[in-house]
Amino acid sequence: MTLQQSALPTTVTATHPASRRDRSRLYQEIGMLAPAVILLTIFLIVPFLLSFWTAMTNQPLVPRPTPVRFIGFNNFLRILRDDLFWTSLWNVSRFTFWILPVQCGLAFATAMLLHQKLPFRNFFRGLFFLPAITSMVVVCVIWGTLFQYPTGPLNQVIGFLSGGSIQPIDWLGDPEWAMFSIVLLSAWQAYGFQMIIYLAGLQGIPDELYDAARIDGANAFQRFWHVTMPGLRPTHVFVLVITTIQAFKLYTQVAILTQGGPKSSTETVVHYMVRSGFEEQKLGHASAVSVILFLIVLVIALLQRQLLRRYDV
Amino acid sequence: MGKRLLSLLMASAALSGFAEAKTVIHVMHQGDPGWVATYGDVAKRFEAANPDVDIELIYAPHDAYNEKFSAAVMSRQLPDIMELDAPFLANYVWSGYLQPIKPLIDQDVLDDMTESNIAQGTYPVDKDLYAVGLTDSSVVLYGNRKYLEAIGARIPKGVDDAWTREEFEGYLEKLSKLDGVKWPIDTFRGYGIKTEWITYAYGPVLQSAGCDLIDRSTWKSVGTLDSDACVDAMAMMQTWVKNGWVVPQSSGTNQFFAEGHPAALAMGGHWFYAEAAASMKDDVVVMPLPKFGPKGASPNGTWIWGITTASEHPDIAGKFISFMLKDKQFRDYARDDSAYPGLKSFAADSPLYDAGGPMAVAFEQASKTAVARPPHPAYPIITSAFMGAVDEIFNGGDVKAALTAAAEKIDEDIDENDGYPPFDEQP
Repeated sequence: MTLQQSALPTTVTATHPASRRDRSRLYQEIGMLAPAVILLTIFLIVPFLLSFWTAMTNQPLVPRPTPVRFIGFNNFLRILRDDLFWTSLWNVSRFTFWILPVQCGLAFATAMLLHQKLPFRNFFRGLFFLPAITSMVVVCVIWGTLFQYPTGPLNQVIGFLSGGSIQPIDWLGDPEWAMFSIVLLSAWQAYGFQMIIYLAGLQGIPDELYDAARIDGANAFQRFWHVTMPGLRPTHVFVLVITTIQAFKLYTQVAILTQGGPKSSTETVVHYMVRSGFEEQKLGHASAVSVILFLIVLVIALLQRQLLRRYDV
Repeated sequence: MGKRLLSLLMASAALSGFAEAKTVIHVMHQGDPGWVATYGDVAKRFEAANPDVDIELIYAPHDAYNEKFSAAVMSRQLPDIMELDAPFLANYVWSGYLQPIKPLIDQDVLDDMTESNIAQGTYPVDKDLYAVGLTDSSVVLYGNRKYLEAIGARIPKGVDDAWTREEFEGYLEKLSKLDGVKWPIDTFRGYGIKTEWITYAYGPVLQSAGCDLIDRSTWKSVGTLDSDACVDAMAMMQTWVKNGWVVPQSSGTNQFFAEGHPAALAMGGHWFYAEAAASMKDDVVVMPLPKFGPKGASPNGTWIWGITTASEHPDIAGKFISFMLKDKQFRDYARDDSAYPGLKSFAADSPLYDAGGPMAVAFEQASKTAVARPPHPAYPIITSAFMGAVDEIFNGGDVKAALTAAAEKIDEDIDENDGYPPFDEQP
């Protein structure tokens, strides 16, 4: 874009001094672009091309006596035929489907709460944000203890509140519950981030709109529905999209707490990739998974662009 | 413990700073904090005896050891000495990371090795020795004497009169109805679903039932791991889980001697004895693994020491390994940890495993029923595929389908590597 714009005046004003000035400006622009282009090439484009190439071979993780061969799309075909891959993709979608309402809802609710003029509200903002800056590994270890079956604290609290009528739940060991447990802990760990974005969004809505609504006789719910919600539309879209993309990269919680089990109910695409690359030492296969994951995230990113454009952000 | 290691590393780093002439030997190892400290102390004593050598210990946690090792290979930072899990030996030797160790180790240590110790360090293709260790390992069936007496169970005297499958399942059922028993057996699912424990401990159930993870002459898994005998054996284990007889994965790994002794039996490693006996005293009964089919089977193989092809000072590395295996404090620590003897002289020091000793059964298993895990370079896939199948099966999945998928995955990998020559030429 920038290059074209700078080229345009050159053709219009064909006088020598101007063209010299334009050319030097062109060099300047190339010079300014260069660092970004070089870094992106080294760290993004080349690795992607390399991983695409590796995905077409039977490259092992560590050097082996047998030769590395070009095997075309065999790795991709094998992945698409592998039930475990589809299970992992389904699991990530399930995770996303649950994490969106839970995490974003929680973030929105606390943001609404903390947007009020409460005493100590900055203290509470910090408090609610605390889990988001705590390392996920630490959070997992703590929640692993909370989830313990059958005598862990969470089960004891539930047993106490229900008067013993609810049986202890095997949070991480039951295929029906394991993914939900990971949703709970992930939402708790990360909602602070979305909360901050919502707080910023709320602060961006002009007070005049509320005053006008009040004068028009709108009650609290009507003000919320007709002023707050429309005012937050771009924030909603942004939060939903980044949460979706983050959710697709689910890995740490699974690696620490369930290793993809029980019965593959928490296997995720990234975990599947790391497993085939490091545990089974099939770098080619793992690269093919990474290419597929890249394409999936690319589709989400394109949808994001469309959504953002529609809401004129 | 970590601090001690750190200060040791820092001290050795500082020393090597001004004493350029020193030879540095890198040693990669795993282990719990007690072992880590013990290795550190051995290294200190070795350095005191050999002032021109620095031993640099590199700790890699057990759970990610193989991944760490791959990383070391890729970054061309292989240590001189590496501790390795015996079933992975074939993969490492085939890939060219280990060198024959016989000429580098003191002859008296080599002469001292038990048969099973030699077997776990030997590469099956060239029959050469690539790693040595102080120890070997086994899994036995621990029982709580009070519960066993309450149901009138027969207590086997040795490997030859091990429980049969019918006896064993009958006792599980009786135990499940006994007051105080929450779970009839702990099979240590608490170790997780991606741990070598699964293949190590449950593989012998298959071998006892008359099948295996892979056919050891044709090196094909399809037709073996998914055979009727294996399907039947895994379906049996699935039934135990379904009946609520097995301690669930999320309940930890000490239910046998936990408060109130909720688990009546434990199918546990030899290392479990020290803890169990400390807490339950004479109530611990040690029995051989049951016979699930035509023959008895038990696991062997443990973490042993090899010298890599990257080592520039293999002779000094060999000297350190010999020194360590003879070190008195090292052996004392191992003995107190109920370590399973792999050297004859160490066995003589271990009354635990002597005839009449409480763990004698474990030692008897080594010579009568031990079956090594498949010594094939594809072992990382074999074990990973089997772990996946076991997770599926224990959680109610279809047994035949899970084992078939695992068998196909193994064969696919072997095909992809052209049969891992020269393994494809073996009869």
